[in-house]
Amino acid sequence: MSPGGLIITAVLLGLFVAAGGAYGILYAAGQLRRSAPLARAAQGCYALQLLITLAVCLGSPLALPWKVFLAASAAAYGFIPPLMWRLLETMHRAGKEMRFP
Amino acid sequence: MYRSQRLALRYFTAAITLFGVMTAAGLLSALYYVEPSLLYNVFDFQMAKILHIDTLVIWLLMGFIGAVYWFLPKELGRETVGIALAEVLFWVFCAAVAVVAAVFILVQYGASNQFSMWFINQGRKYVEAPRWAAVGIVIVVLTFVYNVTMTAWRARKMTGVLWVLIIDLVPLTVLYLDAFPQMTNMSQDLYWWWWLVHMWVEATWEVLIGCLMAWSLMELMGTSRKIVEAWLYIEVMLVLGTGILGLGHHYFWIGTPQYWLGIGGFFSALEPLPLLGMVVHAVYDAGAHHMKTTNRPAFYWVLAEAFGNFIGAGIWGFMMTLPQINLYSHGTQWTVSHGHFAFWGAYGCGVIAMVYLVLQHTRGTTPLDSRAWKWSFALLNLGMLGMVGGLLVAGIAQAFYGRAQGGSTLQAFVVASENHWFQSGMYARLVFGILFSVGYVVLVYDLLAIGRRAAIAAPPQASVA
Amino acid sequence: MLIEDPGFWRAGAISTTLVMLVVLVFLTIDSLAATRAGSARVPNYDVIDRQIGYAYDWSRGYDMPVIGGAEALFGRDDSLAEATALVARGKLVIQSRACMDCHTFFGNGAYYGPDLTKAWLDPAWSAIWMPMTGASTREEAMAQFLMHPDRYPTWSRRMPDLHLTRAEAEATVAYLKWMSAVDTNGFPAHFGRSEPGG
Repeated sequence: MSPGGLIITAVLLGLFVAAGGAYGILYAAGQLRRSAPLARAAQGCYALQLLITLAVCLGSPLALPWKVFLAASAAAYGFIPPLMWRLLETMHRAGKEMRFP
Repeated sequence: MYRSQRLALRYFTAAITLFGVMTAAGLLSALYYVEPSLLYNVFDFQMAKILHIDTLVIWLLMGFIGAVYWFLPKELGRETVGIALAEVLFWVFCAAVAVVAAVFILVQYGASNQFSMWFINQGRKYVEAPRWAAVGIVIVVLTFVYNVTMTAWRARKMTGVLWVLIIDLVPLTVLYLDAFPQMTNMSQDLYWWWWLVHMWVEATWEVLIGCLMAWSLMELMGTSRKIVEAWLYIEVMLVLGTGILGLGHHYFWIGTPQYWLGIGGFFSALEPLPLLGMVVHAVYDAGAHHMKTTNRPAFYWVLAEAFGNFIGAGIWGFMMTLPQINLYSHGTQWTVSHGHFAFWGAYGCGVIAMVYLVLQHTRGTTPLDSRAWKWSFALLNLGMLGMVGGLLVAGIAQAFYGRAQGGSTLQAFVVASENHWFQSGMYARLVFGILFSVGYVVLVYDLLAIGRRAAIAAPPQASVA
Repeated sequence: MLIEDPGFWRAGAISTTLVMLVVLVFLTIDSLAATRAGSARVPNYDVIDRQIGYAYDWSRGYDMPVIGGAEALFGRDDSLAEATALVARGKLVIQSRACMDCHTFFGNGAYYGPDLTKAWLDPAWSAIWMPMTGASTREEAMAQFLMHPDRYPTWSRRMPDLHLTRAEAEATVAYLKWMSAVDTNGFPAHFGRSEPGG
């Protein structure tokens, strides 16, 4: 891997997770406040994450299996926040009993 | 208050004191990079570094042990079994730490024989403490395991959180036995050494702090036990599901077979996913309680833990975990940056949250609030962000100039270390390290003062649990 | 609903952990066999009396150690038992002086000093230290440097004097030479060459 390729790829991988995290936070905040702008911002972050995935897949010197992995994990990032949110809501609705002693 | 809880307070005092020693030794370590002739041949870099990382392990461990001694009688409604022994061993533990620190400062190292391994310095990163002290740590941990299991046994009560905790204490103890062997073959030495270091930090400690967070959430936000326990199981499943084979990312370059590149890369690249879930959870909890809590410092430190863990372990880790990148980033200041952020996020913030949680009870103050905690929160987190930022710049410069471009020789190492990006990064680390230290001083002041004035003004109230 | 039941997640946690642990145990058995001294990846300790190089292997796509003909370390042709004892002593020196808290071995340790994985092969020994110490061989220059690092500074960060005896210095050199012969999957990449790939 060339020195330039190394740095660009590493930074893109960091941004990949950062965009995913921002999407998760904004998605949750949007749900919490029932806010359309926040939900749109969340979608924007996820779109950015997909763009980063595309950039890494097309432009980085990573081996093919890692690019496939990255694409699959980008898809996972998409559904984790909504799934998580639904899980939390379901659990919190169900579990109001048994408080701490 | 139970005796077990009074012991918890002593453990917290020791932990916060050692946090200070760690910070001071860290500052000193940072100074060598900008002033290399400092204390040359008197007290060199490696000894400051040993003090820095060993006190890191011990202050967090003491924080965890303290927190368990605090929650255990609450959870089981009775005094901890064998508390007198635990009290004695606390002082033995403190004395042993002091003796080891004195030996590290005054004697530093010995000749190449078994005597040095037993009484001076074992020279394996994180487990440098001589074997006699390692024996002491095993005894303290075994007593701790005895306290926890026997208390549950006598109380004839077992909760989900306690099950997870007790089962987790078994590997935590067994893995520490790896602090003893002295092996010639570096590949196998490092193989087992990572079992200890990785499995402590990225598996057993994660589960332990998960248990403590479960108790904290019930206390801090009144979350129901059913939710907290379900959540703890999910966390254990995700953390151990990715973390156990995530061990493989330490086996890329130590002489172990090539399949570890695929296994380690894959599982460690999965590690940010559970952390993303935890961040969503943190936002949910914050919102579900409308950010209203009677213990804002503890609440904010819990939030800092979730976000710090995601950024430090998730983002920083993912940048450098794939083998093709790691080939160049491994063993540079880039690793240091990741290590600082991840330790702080995953554990440092968590232990501080526990201490605030406990202080609310001992001071009998509701709500627990002050101006100082905000300053220390800001200074410590800003200091840490600045440090990891500086270290990241320095590490990237090293990977670029020293590794990818220079070919990793001594000459390449020197060129990278003299590079202005590297130098600027190290200066930034020092400046933000000073900021972090100021934050530590404010934290200590706040821990001593918070809630006292209010407690005097108003009579103590019942806990908010 | 199933997901509301903590028992469901408990079962998931237990089974996931057990599966991962079983896989780890099998991988560990295999890895320990693959890394025993004398295996294809980790040579036996008498490799210290052979020539050792490091070259790009096109079939594997990374740098590999190249073991050549006889090259007696310190002019001695050690038996396997002697070499094993010498390298074992070297490891004890490395631990007793806490080398790992300044240097890295296979990239693990601290980052104040350079990585020592391929230190034996570093061109600086012949380019800088052999003339500086007046030694006629690489191992002699290394031993001299290790015994008196403060006499042979090369840049602002200097190695401290750790009071190594002659025997300890020789054992450490033997250890570094043995370590340079371990197959580390190409780490560090293109050591000693300033361009990647070839």
